[in-house]
Amino acid sequence: MLRSLLVPRAAARSAFKQSPSSLPAVVAPSSIARWSKRGYATEAEEKDLVIIGGGVAGYVAAIKAGQEGMKVTCIEKRGTLGGTCLNVGCIPSKALLNNSHLYHQILHDTKARGIDVGDVKLNLAQMMKSKDTAVSGLTKGVEFLFKKNGVEYIKGTASFAGEHEIKVNLTEGGETTVVGKNIIIATGSEATPFPGLEIDEKRIITSTGAIALDKVPESMVVIGGGIIGLEMGSVWSRLGSKVTVVEFLPQIGGPGMDAEVSKAAQKILKKQGIDFKLNTKVLGGDTSGEKIKLEVEAAKGGKKETLDADVVLVAIGRRPYTAGLGLENIGLETDEKGRLVIDQEFRTKLPHIRVVGDCTFGPMLAHKAEEEAVAVVEWIKKGYGHVNYGAIPSVMYTHPEVAWVGQNEQEVKASGVEYKIGTFPFSANSRAKTNLDTEGFVKMIADAKTDRILGIHIIGPNAGEMIAEGTLALEYGAATEDIGRTSHAHPTLAEAFKEAAMATYGKAIHF
Amino acid sequence: MASFATACRLSARLTARQLRQDASARGFRTSAKVLAAQNFTMPALSPTMTEGNIGKWAVKEGDSFSAGDVLLEIETDKASMDVEAQDDGIMAKITQPDGTKGIKVGTRIGVLAEPGDDLSSLEIPAEESAAPEPKKEASKPKSEASSESSSSAPPTPSSSASSEAPAKPAGKPKKQTYPLLPSVGHLMKEHGIEESAIDKMIPSGPNGRLLKGDVLAYLGSVSSSYPSELSTKIEKLTHLDLSNIKLAVPAPKPAKAVEPAPEPIVPQETEVAVPISMRAVLDVQKRIQSTLGVFMPMSTFIARATDVANDNLPRSKTQALSADELFDQVLGLDKVTTASGVRGTFLPQITALPSAAPSVPVKPAKQLDIIDILAGGSRPSTLARKPVPGLSNSVNVFSVKVPKGDEKRAQVFLDRVKAVLEAEPGRLVL
Ligand SMILES: Cc1cc2nc3c(=O)[nH]c(=O)nc-3n(C[C@H](O)[C@H](O)[C@H](O)COP(=O)(O)OP(=O)(O)OC[C@H]3O[C@@H](n4cnc5c(N)ncnc54)[C@H](O)[C@@H]3O)c2cc1C
Repeated sequence: MLRSLLVPRAAARSAFKQSPSSLPAVVAPSSIARWSKRGYATEAEEKDLVIIGGGVAGYVAAIKAGQEGMKVTCIEKRGTLGGTCLNVGCIPSKALLNNSHLYHQILHDTKARGIDVGDVKLNLAQMMKSKDTAVSGLTKGVEFLFKKNGVEYIKGTASFAGEHEIKVNLTEGGETTVVGKNIIIATGSEATPFPGLEIDEKRIITSTGAIALDKVPESMVVIGGGIIGLEMGSVWSRLGSKVTVVEFLPQIGGPGMDAEVSKAAQKILKKQGIDFKLNTKVLGGDTSGEKIKLEVEAAKGGKKETLDADVVLVAIGRRPYTAGLGLENIGLETDEKGRLVIDQEFRTKLPHIRVVGDCTFGPMLAHKAEEEAVAVVEWIKKGYGHVNYGAIPSVMYTHPEVAWVGQNEQEVKASGVEYKIGTFPFSANSRAKTNLDTEGFVKMIADAKTDRILGIHIIGPNAGEMIAEGTLALEYGAATEDIGRTSHAHPTLAEAFKEAAMATYGKAIHF
Repeated sequence: MASFATACRLSARLTARQLRQDASARGFRTSAKVLAAQNFTMPALSPTMTEGNIGKWAVKEGDSFSAGDVLLEIETDKASMDVEAQDDGIMAKITQPDGTKGIKVGTRIGVLAEPGDDLSSLEIPAEESAAPEPKKEASKPKSEASSESSSSAPPTPSSSASSEAPAKPAGKPKKQTYPLLPSVGHLMKEHGIEESAIDKMIPSGPNGRLLKGDVLAYLGSVSSSYPSELSTKIEKLTHLDLSNIKLAVPAPKPAKAVEPAPEPIVPQETEVAVPISMRAVLDVQKRIQSTLGVFMPMSTFIARATDVANDNLPRSKTQALSADELFDQVLGLDKVTTASGVRGTFLPQITALPSAAPSVPVKPAKQLDIIDILAGGSRPSTLARKPVPGLSNSVNVFSVKVPKGDEKRAQVFLDRVKAVLEAEPGRLVL
């Protein structure tokens, strides 16, 4: 506790005035500590809205509610706001992805560009520090926004004592109770553990350990070839690890990724040095030796094999986190996968308690959580709200990036809708050429009869930014022709987007 | 869903407003007099509802009603719901009596008039067909439609519809109030379609937007129902699939180990101390007393020195930035504005030091632990030199405790105190 700094200036001054004859003395620290603890919410006051969890879902809802003039309290146990996304998810992982990419490019991709570089060295500690700076700047920024919007922030762990009553175990010690007319549960998710492998975040790690390793492991096995596994695998592969990805399914990128794009991504990542073992099951591991020994087997049965690794990253998915919330005290239900059961208005069976973000249904994405957070406050305040789950983009921030929105080809095929496809490769795009970064393509899927866009899939440089246009098009019910007849600046990567549209309803110009 | 009924009531008004917009935008009224009469059609009470039954009318033909009054009860295969009026009005005509079954959404069930209308002279508007095929009489010349202001809109019923109720009954032409999509504009030119024809096309896009497919349907190159069928499919994807939820079996859990709250981290503190001579202060004190006859207590000097020295100190390493500074930092503005000092809140602890001054800075005050005491003699040097509290007339040790990392800041502060007290203490009080 920063005792001396906690003493308000005025108090310090008045200490002089009141006792001019005595000497200035340090105010007894214990009394200040007690005072600061008591500064929290009063027990009886009922809030319009109490939010459990200060992740993206929780903090956005809190700010929105504040803007709507509601009396709102947000309870977060982590010590900082922003949840998984800002502290151990999107933000730190993207910081490392960006900087490891720069490092890798300087090491391997400067000569042909006419840049001779001398001795290139990795300073991992500094790379981690720059990541931490990004994280702390953003989490504190959220705290600022709380102040600005009049959100009360309580640091502690919340659990239901009653249907409107939440008990908070304060981080600083002690306990308080908050009462909410409305309550939002936004407690997020945690990494799904792999049975039989105990996470120590040093050798057997989740993504949380993977953004904080203190040295580059010689070898790393990633269990799970989904987005998080491939992103973190990319980081450490670029920094020098020998990375092997073991995936149970026949494709990487998770089930949402278009199969054609997934194959292309695998090829490119393989070229970058990542090994893949698809259709492969991890049976168990032995951590007793210097190297971890992982036993794997072909998914359909077959011969066993042992993989050696210094570090094993468990990235088999995330599961809703509701432990310690005391759901049983008020009879709230979860489904088999631990998701809190809700209706289309995010209500649990107690209608004043609503749920948004990773701890309920839908894709576990920060921007989905954010959309829901705004919508849920609108539901509470105005009686209507809107999230279009059919137009939520997904992005994998490897290099090149992979991004998509809407349905993939497998899904469209399964739905029985007749469709047509247009693609355009970045190798035929002038900007990609000038950048010497030409891997990948844009693929559009449209209804064969009406040309209405059903899905857009991009693998290529800047795909994550480019998908915004696709999302807008989908939201507006556009046909590919609408994109093809809209001007795109030259020379930009986005021209590939336009040309893919043209290729869908007619013909691309440059391919 | 248990909460279905509540959901209905919640969004009733909204839906009504949208119905009204649709109605006024569609422009099916022909003269000033008839402006007041409006078709009242079977509302869609849920996204999947295609038809409904009239349960019972709560008003009779000719009855006046006010906003919020229940007009009738509609039954679907799922539930029966009350439909409320949004504005005041008169039930001019009921075209589908109690108990009529299987009425398609969008089909007329009655005619509404505005309060004060003379029903006898009221012209009953033509019925609009719920069929997707556009009908001639359903659309009016564009100029007239657009000259209508929505403020003159007649009363409209408010249906208790589910949250997801589409904004409009499917399959109606709708005036396009936004610029046409490029593909639509192009197709119209290509086929020489007049602009007025837009009002006959049935939009299938989100919020009644006219899509390329709708023009193709108008032209007959795809079946007229196809665009709306596709929209229905796409619409399904816009919601979370909450069907077939398999509840977790509440396993009788063993008492969960409660996660202990993380220990609050108490930053390590260091003491920084500076010996300061009071001689100059005593001199000034004496001079003031002799010349002005006022006794200026030593604490006044110290208090003023403290105040001066606290001004504009280097920023504490551990001090949390203010909200505004944080935001600047997030935006990267902290690098732009020149870093300025911050006022400190140091209060020095003063102890008289009769003998030698201690080394500066003093080592972090070590926690006295039981072993040390038992072992004895392990801390003699510090103990022996430990100065006694109080103020000496010669040398005193001014010290402040700071969190680790802030030693320099404390040193700056104490050096300043020393400078003003030893060099020119007179300026502090005069
Ligand atoms: C490595 C990684 C990378 C990711 N990258 C991306 C990305 O690039 N893009 C993207 O869209 N998504 C990404 N995600 C997913 C994203 O982080 C989540 O979708 C998002 O954080 C969900 O937000 P949330 O608010 O629902 O939950 P969380 O962010 O998990 O927040 C929940 C908060 O509630 C708190 N909490 C829980 N229980 C209690 C309690 N009882 N009392 C008080 N507080 C409690 C937790 O401490 C936590 O801070 C990534 C995730 C990971 C792990």
